[in-house]
Amino acid sequence: MSDPSWSKHLADVLRRNAIHTFATVPDYIVSHVLEHLWADPECRVVTVTREEEGVGLLAGAWLAGRRGALLMQNSGLGNSVNALASLCVASQIPMVLVISHRGDLGEFNPAQVPMGQATGPVLDALSIRHIAPRSVAELEAQGDGLIKLCYTRSLPVAMIVPAELTGGKQG
Amino acid sequence: MSAPLTRAAATRLLAERLTREVVVSNLGQASLDLQQIADRPLNCYTFGAMGQCSSIALGIALARPDVRVVCLDGDGSLLMNLGSLCTIANQAPRNFALVVWDNEVHQTTGGQPTATAARSSLAAIARGAGVEKAMEVRTEEELRGAYDRIFGEDGPFVVAVKVMKGRAEGRLDRDVVGHARRFAQALAALPVA
Repeated sequence: MSDPSWSKHLADVLRRNAIHTFATVPDYIVSHVLEHLWADPECRVVTVTREEEGVGLLAGAWLAGRRGALLMQNSGLGNSVNALASLCVASQIPMVLVISHRGDLGEFNPAQVPMGQATGPVLDALSIRHIAPRSVAELEAQGDGLIKLCYTRSLPVAMIVPAELTGGKQG
Repeated sequence: MSAPLTRAAATRLLAERLTREVVVSNLGQASLDLQQIADRPLNCYTFGAMGQCSSIALGIALARPDVRVVCLDGDGSLLMNLGSLCTIANQAPRNFALVVWDNEVHQTTGGQPTATAARSSLAAIARGAGVEKAMEVRTEEELRGAYDRIFGEDGPFVVAVKVMKGRAEGRLDRDVVGHARRFAQALAALPVA
């Protein structure tokens, strides 16, 4: 049984690490996190039309001195691969990717499964360090360290958000 | 009727007005022209992520509302990220101008025609996206008028500049990490106005 406070914990991990600029193409799962960010006057959330655009926008924000996170579904990771590789990795521009993990345990939609199974390997292929906390306790234990590594290494990192943490989407 | 504009001449006309503005340039021709004509630390050259130039510039403009940001994009690149025009319109940063060198070809890859060579108008698309100050210019006089507005009024602007085909001279300095760091440091050092 997932802890319904997971989304508040996730929003707090980001905010307490000085991340206040967000780009998103919403999905059902990350929208729970977005509700906390939208309600926070210190946070700017920009809804983009395609996730790759969010990579560009947050790269610009970083170059102008602001940390950013991109909230999206793993389908959006697929839409962002070239920008992550040829902009963020090539130019050493850090950002935090928060990726809701569809297409894994409990998935009801066959169309989600291929990208869901490819999510880890795609991140690995780009040397993007990732975690997939399955409980609020794991999120709290790993989240700060992941973000610290992001800015120490000056490269993107990813927090995969699995159904075990959120309860998933029921179809 | 003046002679058709070249991208280099249009870049020079911009460069002579620059003081504390940020200029973000698209990979390939726009960055090469800008490096050759007016290299400066407040230039943000982009080298990868074709299509993302306007999004990178928008991110800078939103993070630093005290600094005017001029983005030099290309028609081929902007056509790859037309959704950016919607985001620009809806975020509506007053300090933002998107200038598109529209030569109607993919210049870097050998001059293959883009959609603007046939039926598509970037200024019309920008207006449809919700950018009210969207225009197309074809002459030096019209371009000077557009720059007057960019430097004198609140944006956002989208200015499609019809320019002649042709490759830029010289060779791009591709120190991608070095240029990104130089730019970030220069912008951080720029006092908030």
